[in-house]
Amino acid sequence: MSSIDRLDLRRHDLGQVYRPQRDWIDGRGLLIVVAHFFSGIGAGAWLWSTLYDFRIGQWLSVACVLGLSGVAHLAFLGRWDRFWRMLRRPHRSWISRGIWAIGVFGLAACGVLWPAARSGPVGGFALGLSVAAACAILLYEGFVYAASRAIPFWRTRLLPALYIAYGLRGGAALLLVTAALGGDGFDVASVEAVKLWVVASTAVLVLLYLVAGSRAGGAARESVSQLVAGRISPSFYGGTVLAGIVLPIGLTLGGDALALPELVLLGAIGIASLLGDFYVKYCIVKAGVYVPLVGSAGVQRSGS
Amino acid sequence: MRLGMVIDLKRCIGCYGCQIACKAENGTRPGTTYARVVKREWGEYPNVKRLSIPVLCMHCGEPPCVDVCPTGASQKRECDGIVFVETDVCVGCRACVMACPYGARYFQDESRDYFGTGENAYEECVYAAHQSGVVEKCDFCRARLEQGLEPACSANCMCKARIFGDLEDPNSEVSRLIREEGGFQLNPELGTDPSVWYLPPER
Amino acid sequence: MTHSAPTSEAGGRDVWIPSACGMCYNQCGIRGHRKDGTLVKIEGNPDNPIGRGRLCARGLAGIQLLYDPHRVNRPLRRTNPEKGIGVDPGWQEIGWDEALDEISERLRKVRERDPRGFFFSGTVISLAPLMHALGTFLPAFGSPSAFVSDGHHCGNAEHILARTLHASVTTNPDVAHCDYLLLFGCQAGLGTYYALTSMAQDVADARVRGMKVVAVDPYLGSAAEKADEWLPIKPGSDGALACAMLNLLLNEYRLFDEAYLRDHADGPYLLTEEGWYARDAESGKPLVWDLAAGRPRPFDAPDLGTPALTGSHPVDGRPCRTVFQALCDQVAKWTPEAAAEVTTIPAQTIRRIAREFGEAAAIGSTIQIDGKSLPLRPASALYFKGAHGHDNAWPTALAIELLNEVVGASNVPGGLLGTNPVCSGHPDTGFPRWRPGPDADGLLEAGALLYNDPYGRTPGWPPPPQSAELPNLRDLVGWPITTCFTPAALNDRENFQFDHRPEVLINYGSNLLMSVARPEVCFEAFEHAFVVCVNLYSDETAEALADIVLPDACYLERLDPLPNFTRHHHPVGLGDWGHTIRQPLVEPLHERRHFSEVLLELADRLGITQPMNLLTNNLFGLVPPHALEPDRSYSWREIADRAYKSWFGEERGLAWFEQHGVIRWPKQVEEVFWKPFIHARAPLYNEWVKRSGEQVAEIARQRGMKGVDTSGFFPLPDWRPCRAWQPREGYDLQAIYYRVPWHTFSMTYENPWLDEISRGEPYSYFVCINTATARARGISDGDPIVVEAADGGSVEGRARLTEGVHPEVLAVANNGGHWAKGMPFARGKGIFFNQLLPMDLPHTDLVSLSMDCDARVRVRKREEA
Repeated sequence: MSSIDRLDLRRHDLGQVYRPQRDWIDGRGLLIVVAHFFSGIGAGAWLWSTLYDFRIGQWLSVACVLGLSGVAHLAFLGRWDRFWRMLRRPHRSWISRGIWAIGVFGLAACGVLWPAARSGPVGGFALGLSVAAACAILLYEGFVYAASRAIPFWRTRLLPALYIAYGLRGGAALLLVTAALGGDGFDVASVEAVKLWVVASTAVLVLLYLVAGSRAGGAARESVSQLVAGRISPSFYGGTVLAGIVLPIGLTLGGDALALPELVLLGAIGIASLLGDFYVKYCIVKAGVYVPLVGSAGVQRSGS
Repeated sequence: MRLGMVIDLKRCIGCYGCQIACKAENGTRPGTTYARVVKREWGEYPNVKRLSIPVLCMHCGEPPCVDVCPTGASQKRECDGIVFVETDVCVGCRACVMACPYGARYFQDESRDYFGTGENAYEECVYAAHQSGVVEKCDFCRARLEQGLEPACSANCMCKARIFGDLEDPNSEVSRLIREEGGFQLNPELGTDPSVWYLPPER
Repeated sequence: MTHSAPTSEAGGRDVWIPSACGMCYNQCGIRGHRKDGTLVKIEGNPDNPIGRGRLCARGLAGIQLLYDPHRVNRPLRRTNPEKGIGVDPGWQEIGWDEALDEISERLRKVRERDPRGFFFSGTVISLAPLMHALGTFLPAFGSPSAFVSDGHHCGNAEHILARTLHASVTTNPDVAHCDYLLLFGCQAGLGTYYALTSMAQDVADARVRGMKVVAVDPYLGSAAEKADEWLPIKPGSDGALACAMLNLLLNEYRLFDEAYLRDHADGPYLLTEEGWYARDAESGKPLVWDLAAGRPRPFDAPDLGTPALTGSHPVDGRPCRTVFQALCDQVAKWTPEAAAEVTTIPAQTIRRIAREFGEAAAIGSTIQIDGKSLPLRPASALYFKGAHGHDNAWPTALAIELLNEVVGASNVPGGLLGTNPVCSGHPDTGFPRWRPGPDADGLLEAGALLYNDPYGRTPGWPPPPQSAELPNLRDLVGWPITTCFTPAALNDRENFQFDHRPEVLINYGSNLLMSVARPEVCFEAFEHAFVVCVNLYSDETAEALADIVLPDACYLERLDPLPNFTRHHHPVGLGDWGHTIRQPLVEPLHERRHFSEVLLELADRLGITQPMNLLTNNLFGLVPPHALEPDRSYSWREIADRAYKSWFGEERGLAWFEQHGVIRWPKQVEEVFWKPFIHARAPLYNEWVKRSGEQVAEIARQRGMKGVDTSGFFPLPDWRPCRAWQPREGYDLQAIYYRVPWHTFSMTYENPWLDEISRGEPYSYFVCINTATARARGISDGDPIVVEAADGGSVEGRARLTEGVHPEVLAVANNGGHWAKGMPFARGKGIFFNQLLPMDLPHTDLVSLSMDCDARVRVRKREEA
């Protein structure tokens, strides 16, 4: 969409009762979804990799969090050259906390991965710190959205819960794909079982999230409506539901019947799951609708 | 002192003079309208009502944009309560755009000109004061206030529908109007405590 | 490509310069901020009572007109010999000398052969240069062939009655004292209309004080939005509503101002059965019935007893009704039920509104202002384009005006005022001045309507119809201020039998092809002429027709002395007079030149400077020693200096105004509410119309002209349907256009700040259609639709479903839909409504030369190709 069209869209939006957010999805705004996707699965992958002592997984995790997510974060910003300023307000801003978490994770992960420091108390401290930082990364993203007072659809603790759950399953999916591509030293079977449970629970969370949104009235209901029956429904049904929930569960439960090599099957499950992880974030962010300024109830009534 | 504004919806005729007065004062780029007008329609023919509602930054008492800002660029002045963006500090993360329920914040994505043929002489002059990649918003015309003038939108309103003053002074015109004419805020349940109040269109 | 900063005589300075806006016809006071040669801000001028320091969106956006990269900057010559709508003219830039050489040569030839072949048209937005051309160049040249051509704004019928009943060009209500404002198709102080910036404040004050506003309008526009009550009406039927209200007030409620009608109007004048004033055999004066004496006597007889207001009385044995009686009888057939049928406003609503209006007028009440006791009538019925922009303009306007007259709410506090009919002048000089007075029949006659009237002349009634030889029909129906019918008359040349045709057309700034009617009308009228467009842009008219385009200096780049020379710029009611200067905020960019200076140069080349100087004295009201001597040449600055000195004294010439900007002084009560102090009667009965009608019919008969329908030359109010109101098989809707406060005709669609407003506003770039009406036709919001007129023409646009429009009406914000290459920013913005409008005798009110500005249409969804 050209920049002139985008301005026109903004002019049009500002007059609507239900105004969708666009700064965090259109144009370079998409990069924040990309950034959160990579840092989410990266942090999740770190936790699983650390649990199962999967070195390759840990390297992948760092590449995702610092490399892919880091670059996406910077490219998303209007003034990336000033990014260090975002460290200034961890006492008030979830974004600030998140940047700290990523920074700490980066340093701690280096400490874990650096052969010289691996063993011994420094390595142990780094490991603990990296796990804590990875948890913090999983946690903070949902709260960034939930802190947006103007977008009722995001104002729920279910959203951080969703981000954590999706981070975990995304991390696992990443490792499944890695294993499928020939990564050794990874206990696939146990991950698979846990993963099934995680996939199912994310499905339940999504459902809960939508129900809560539609009950919240006004803008949140409009968001849900756009997801399940509006402009976002193709992405929602295709990405979040089909690729992200139906396929992983289906392939896990009934994949044997397909008579595929196990690793191919696992890879398929992983990729489908990753797609779902991306699309759930994409859909939820895209579905953000501002609280109405002046709605159908009149100028002296509140919107919601 | 807490600076605020009262917008009389009975007086306002929806002429968009304030939108242009603001643009003319601040030299904002295409798509950036610190002051704008929202139009609404209610009812069923022939019992129909339309209303024009001028909107700007509410300079909230509890500004959500200040809360979420990771760099501290978004600030609220102690002395008079004006919420403004320190554009030299802003990284353009747009968290404030997500947080503002009043659509008062505008991300300056790239510099562009109005005619699409390059900046004309006027634009060359006024756009120099603006940065790209940051968020901008109404600041109650701080520069005019320093000269003892009121914000451009209220100074220009043909209908005198915008009144500017100190909300903490019980004898100010704004305080009196809110008290005596049934002033109300937009979306007060969000806990933002706007400094912009409205007077009912029918009274 | 950018056009870099202009040259300026004062680089490096930071100055505020007073001037006057030119973005619409209201010409409010402005100040421009120029820094280092670049204009960086325009604001209102708080010193100027016209605007009071505030501006509408357009005035503030003028900077983007100044620096628009698509402005014409050098003279252009057409290299493509083909002319046509949408044809590429193949512009080639030429020099001014070459352009003026050719133009003056052509004009010289025309003047030798037949000066009437020089046609001129212009835009009222740039009123000062327009008047300069009309008042000096045209008569000095010897051409009567001028037509003012912004078509769709003007209130021709209203201007007639503003003159006869209110002694001015137009009217505005005294809202400071008004409690009930009834608006018919008008948005005074609420969106558009005269003195908008000041009226907006006054109307807001009045509404907050408690003035009730009722808006009669097919569309829920700016006025209806703020009104306490919106009365949706079928377009063109406002006259029926007014007639029914008159009937109720006069014949049922008996709410009328007897004293006013008897003593300050021609209510008691006796009418013969043929419909003429019964006149005294000796003096020729109109007769009234002296009740005490029991006989008819001249209205101004020295010892006259109370005259009868009602009834029929014998004169020479023949029964003669009073004018008032004739009016009562005339409107009796307009029952509320009859009006409800025609307007779709319920009868009980009509009854209620009539009663409210009559009672609000508080007949008999008085008010003390400045120690003077004045009648107070706090009710006002105001109307404009929406009500009388139809081919039933004359009777519609008359009916609505008489609502004010019958309750005495005319030219008194609270009522409908003419715009500043009396001025006694600045205390130091007594200029400018003008003043109405009674004519020989005791009826109101306006003072000068423009500039200054230093010799105390009153212009009198226009000459009666004499012939039909002028395409602008000024010799046939001399009243109308705008004469946009001229192209239609030219196209009907066999019928009118004009013995001359346009050889040269100079068009000052008017986008004829867009602003009048269907573009073909104006195109055909002038396609064989040598056309010069003096313009800001290469617009539709220039591209289709012009041989040469001259780059005009816009209002920010030129000097116009006394830009507020007309009465209606100044707000009505108490306050201050104010006169200002329009001076360049920057020197003209590139090679743009001010049209007034071009006229002086052309006059010099043609050798008509002498008569032009004399006419200039006449126009501006220049008095010795500042009057121009015939055989000298004067620069425009010299003329401006003399104009100022003539009006305001030796010390207040051009230099004074360049520095100070505004001269102001308080209005006197006797100027503002003059009616009780100048004894001249308002003519309720329009004998002149009846006479004109007969004379026009005779001229038409003698010349064998067809289609000249004079049945509308009726001296009393009535209602007959306009063309678009009349039902036609298969066409079930009426399409109208409306004004928004941030656009002026077609020009402002090129302004990106103003365009940005429309892009954020729900209605102005769409065709508004009633929700139920749309659904019944399977049309959803945003659908592309085609609107087709029964009289030909179709337009396309997207539908905006709304409850705020009459179910039988489509409403479009005019005047968008540009297609010119020279206005690339404006192209495609909005909808070109005027394609739906023919212009010809059947669609025209001949009394006022008003067109039917709406169309009978049908609508359908546009199928994808």
